[in-house]
Amino acid sequence: MKPFDIVIVGGGGAGLYAAMEAMKTNPALNIAVLSKVYPNRSHTSAAQGGANAALGNKAKDDTIEMHIFDTIKGSDYLADQDAVEVLCSEAPKIIRELENIGTPWSRLDDNTIAQRPFGGAGRPRCCYCADKTGHTILQTLYEQCLRKGVIFFNEYFALNLAVNGSRSRGLIAMNMKSGRVEAFPAKTVIFATGGYAKMYWNRSSNAAGNTGDGQAIAYRAGIPMKDMEFVQFHPTGLRKSGLLVTEGARGEGGYLINKDGERFMARYAKEKMELGPRDLVSRSIETEILEGRGFESPAGKYVHLDLRHLGADLIKSRLPQIREMSLNFEGVDPIEEPIPVRPTAHYSMGGIDTDNFGRTVMDGVYAAGECACVSVHGANRLGGNSLLDILVFGRIAGHTAAEEAGKFEPGTISEEEIRVSAEELRHRMQPSGHYERYGALREELGQTLALNAGIFRESSLLHKGIEDIAELKERFKKVRVFDSSDVFNTNLMQVLELKNMLDLAETVAVGALAREESRGSHTRIDFPVRDDEKWHKHTLATLVDGKVLPGEKPVTMGRYELQERTY
Amino acid sequence: MNFRKELINHSLMTETIDQHQEGKRDVTFRVFRFNPQVDSKPYFDDYTISAERGITVLRSLNYIKEHVDATLSFRAFCQAGICGSCGMRVNGISKLACTSQVWEELDKCREPGIIKVEPLRSLPMIKDLIVDMDPLVDKMKRYSNWINSTMPLAEMGKKEFLVSEEEFHRYDKATDCILCASCVSECSILRANKEYVSPAVLLKSYRMNVDSRDSIHDVRLAELVKDHGVWDCTHCYRCQESCVKSIPIMEAIHAIREDALECRGPKDTSGAKHAEAFMEDIEKKGKLVEATLPIRTNGMVWTLRNLLPMAMKMIVKRRTPPPPPLVKSSKGIKIFRAMFREMTEHVKQDHQKSHKK
Ligand SMILES: Cc1cc2nc3c(=O)[nH]c(=O)nc-3n(C[C@H](O)[C@H](O)[C@H](O)COP(=O)(O)OP(=O)(O)OC[C@H]3O[C@@H](n4cnc5c(N)ncnc54)[C@H](O)[C@@H]3O)c2cc1C
Ligand code: SF4
Ligand code: SF4
Ligand code: FES
Repeated sequence: MKPFDIVIVGGGGAGLYAAMEAMKTNPALNIAVLSKVYPNRSHTSAAQGGANAALGNKAKDDTIEMHIFDTIKGSDYLADQDAVEVLCSEAPKIIRELENIGTPWSRLDDNTIAQRPFGGAGRPRCCYCADKTGHTILQTLYEQCLRKGVIFFNEYFALNLAVNGSRSRGLIAMNMKSGRVEAFPAKTVIFATGGYAKMYWNRSSNAAGNTGDGQAIAYRAGIPMKDMEFVQFHPTGLRKSGLLVTEGARGEGGYLINKDGERFMARYAKEKMELGPRDLVSRSIETEILEGRGFESPAGKYVHLDLRHLGADLIKSRLPQIREMSLNFEGVDPIEEPIPVRPTAHYSMGGIDTDNFGRTVMDGVYAAGECACVSVHGANRLGGNSLLDILVFGRIAGHTAAEEAGKFEPGTISEEEIRVSAEELRHRMQPSGHYERYGALREELGQTLALNAGIFRESSLLHKGIEDIAELKERFKKVRVFDSSDVFNTNLMQVLELKNMLDLAETVAVGALAREESRGSHTRIDFPVRDDEKWHKHTLATLVDGKVLPGEKPVTMGRYELQERTY
Repeated sequence: MNFRKELINHSLMTETIDQHQEGKRDVTFRVFRFNPQVDSKPYFDDYTISAERGITVLRSLNYIKEHVDATLSFRAFCQAGICGSCGMRVNGISKLACTSQVWEELDKCREPGIIKVEPLRSLPMIKDLIVDMDPLVDKMKRYSNWINSTMPLAEMGKKEFLVSEEEFHRYDKATDCILCASCVSECSILRANKEYVSPAVLLKSYRMNVDSRDSIHDVRLAELVKDHGVWDCTHCYRCQESCVKSIPIMEAIHAIREDALECRGPKDTSGAKHAEAFMEDIEKKGKLVEATLPIRTNGMVWTLRNLLPMAMKMIVKRRTPPPPPLVKSSKGIKIFRAMFREMTEHVKQDHQKSHKK
C-alpha cells in the first residue's frame, strides 16, 4: 500500500475531528481513517447530556475562566492547568464551528444554542441537542468527512504499531471483511480509539468495543499510560447489562431503596439525598450492597431505583427513554416495579500519555480523545467535558500531525512483519487439547475488577485483583478461536479485544495499588484522604520486559492553588 | 475440561438459562447461516436456550456465541439501541436485536417457540447476519447528505447561526436516524431496484434541504428527482412502519416531492411522468392500472430489467395486480370524475394563492 502521511485509528468524535483538521491544515496530505466499526457507530453516539462551552447564551455572566476553575476543581486538582486552559478557551470556538457545519442544537428563545446546567458546573454551560448530543455531533462529523472525501477503512481492526526504536513506521491492521492482515505504512499515526471502561464488562455502561485497543497497542509498543487508576463510576447502571439509567431519573425525584425498604441516601447525604454528586451516590449504593442491604439475584446484587410514586403520566411524559431502557433491558416497567440498579464503570480518565499537542513520547505517534490522557480531567471528569475534550484535542492532534508529518521519513513495513502478525492470529485457531473460553475470562475480568479495583479499593483487595489478572492472562494463552473463517471473524476480534483489556487491566490495578490516597474517582479505604504532599502527581505505567514499570510525572499548576474539593 | 470453567459457565447459565427457576421460557432461535468461504448456499441453524423475562434477542445471540457456537456472526456494539449496528430481521421484520425482547417475539412466531433470525435484505450479504453497509454510504455521498455551510471558511467558529426552535423542530426527528438500515431492508422498491435512493437517504436529504445553514439545496434536489430518486417511491409506508426510531419518514418523502414540484415543476422527470400517468388513470378509470404504470413511467426496457424479477415473485405469491383489461372502471365513475376535476381545480387555486404570498 502507498505510504500515508497520517493514519488515524478511530472514527469517533476525536478521530473524525482530527481527520477534518488535518485535511484543512494541508489538503495535499494522504490521510486515512481506520475504524473497527463504521464511524457513525462509534461510542461518541451514546453521549446524551451535551458538551460544555462558556458561550454565555444561557447565563450571560458565564466566562471561560469559570469553566477553567470548575474543571480544575472537578479534577480534584490533578488536571494540568495549562491543558485545561486550552480546553476551555477553545470550547466556544469549537462548538460554534460544529454549529456552522450543520450540527443540530436545541435552541433558546433568542435562537442561540441552548445550554443547560450539568453536575459540577457553576453556570448552565452544557450545550445540547435534546438527549442525543453525541449522536448528532458524530453524524455531523461523519457527514463532513464524507463531503471532504476522507478515505475510510471501515471495519479494519488495528493490531499493532510497526516500530523502529523510538520511531513509528505505521500500523498493521486486519481487514474484517476479508480477514487479511494489511500494512499501513505511515509518517504519523493518531490513536483515537476511545475508552477502556468496558474492561469492567457487565459492570460498565460502555459499548462492547470500548476495550482500550489503541491504548493497549501503544502500551505494547513501549508508550507510557498515564493515570490509569482513575475510572469514573456512574451510580445507576442496570443490573444485568450495566447500561446507563441517566441522572434524569433521580432529577425527577426517583428514590433509591435498599432491601429493607429504606431510602438509604438519608444516611449519606441528608439534604441532597438522591441528588448528591455522582461519586458520593455511587459509594453509598456500593456501601449498602457491601453491608448486606442490597437485593440478591443470579445476575448480581443491586438496589432499587423506585419511580412508582412519580405516577404513570410523569414517567411517560418526562422519562420515556428510561422507561424504554428498563423495559428493554430488564423487562421491568418502572410504572409498576422499581428498576434494579448498581453503579457502573462509565468513563476512563487515564490513557495514553500526551502533551498539550497530542504528541506521545514516540516520534510520529499521537493520541486524542478518551484514549489519551492530556490530562484535562485529572482524577474525575465533569459531565459534558468529555465530548469537549475529544473535539478540542482531536482537532489539535490532527493539526499537529499534519504540520509535523513532513519531518518524518515515509515508513515502510516489510512483508515479513505482516506475515508474523497474520501467523499469530492463525495460531489462535489451531485446535489444542485443553482450552479456555474467552467469554468466561471476559466475565471474570469484569468481576474481579469491579470487586477489587472498583469503587472501593484497598491494599489486600488490589493485591488479589492483580493476582487474578495475572492468572487470567495465563489462562488467556489457552483461549481458542473456534471460528476458523477469514470472513468477518468476530470470534477472533473479541479474543483480541480481551487481550487488550487484560494488558490494560494490569495497569489499572497496579496504579490503584500504588496511589495511597483517595482522590476524585479513586477511593482507598485504607487511605481515605487526599494526600497532596505524596500524591499530587500523575502516575505512569510503561511496559518493560513484559512487566508494568510504574513511574510518575508532575502536575502542571497555574493560577489555582490546591484546595479541598467540597460541593 | 477445566473445572473452574465449568463453574463459571454454570453461574452464567443461572443468569440466562435455568430450567428450575420460574419465569423462564424455552426458545429456539432459527438463525440464517452463510459463510461464503465454505457454503454454496445459506441454511438455518437451530439453537434452543431458555430465556428469562427481559432478555433481548441480542443477549440471546451473545449467549449462543459464547456458549454454543462461536462461529455465529453478527454485529453489535452499543447494545443500547443507539449505534445502529445490530439491524437484522427477527420473525421476518427488520429491527434492532438489542432492543427486541425475546418474550415479545415469542408471541409473534409463525411456528410456536421458534424465533427466526435473518440478515437485512437489499444489502449484499457478507456472513451470517452481517450485510455490507457500503452501498448505503455510497448513496449518502451521491445525494450529498451533508450540510454545505453558507458560512465562509474564514468566519468558521466565530459566530453562531441564529436558528429558531421552530426550524430545529423541522429536522429534529429526522436527525434521530441511526442508519441501522431496517427501513432499507423493508423498502419494497429497493428489493426490485438496488439503485433506488433508499428511505434513510431520502430522510437525510430532506433533513439537509430544510436546514437554513445549507447552500446546496438545489444540487441535492436535482439529484433526487433523477431516476432511482424520490419519484420511484411507491408510498407503501413500509419504511416508516419499520423505523426503529419511529421517524415519520413519509413526511420527509412528501416534503421532498412537494418541494420538487414547487421548485422544478412537473416536467422532465420520470417521477413527474409517473404523477401524470397516475392522474390520467384516476381520471379515466377511477383507479390505478398498476400493471402498466411502471412502463408508462420508465419505459419498457427499464420495466423489464428492473421490475420483471419482482413481478415474477409476485405472480408466484399471487400478488400481481390484475392485467389491464381486467381493470374495469369503478362504479360511479362519472360522479368521481366530476369530483376529481373539482379537486384538481382546488389544488391549482391553492397553489396560486400560496405563490402570491
Ligand atoms: C452512556 C454514556 C454517556 C455519555 N455522556 C456524555 C455526555 O453527556 N457528555 C460528555 O461530554 N461525554 C459523555 N460520555 C463520554 C463520551 O461519550 C466519550 O468519552 C467520547 O465520546 C469518546 O470519544 P472518542 O472519539 O474518544 O472515542 P469513541 O467515540 O469511543 O470512538 C472510538 C473509535 O475507535 C475505533 N476503534 C477502537 N478500537 C479500534 C481498533 N482496534 N481498530 C480500529 N478502530 C478502533 C472505534 O471503531 C471508534 O470509531 C458518555 C459516555 C457514555 C458511555
Ligand atoms: S414508502 Fe417508499 S421509501 Fe418507504 S418503503 Fe415504500 S417505497 Fe420504500
Ligand atoms: S430511518 Fe429509521 S429504520 Fe431507517 S436507518 Fe434511520 S433509524 Fe433505521
Ligand atoms: S447494538 Fe447498537 S443499536 Fe443494537
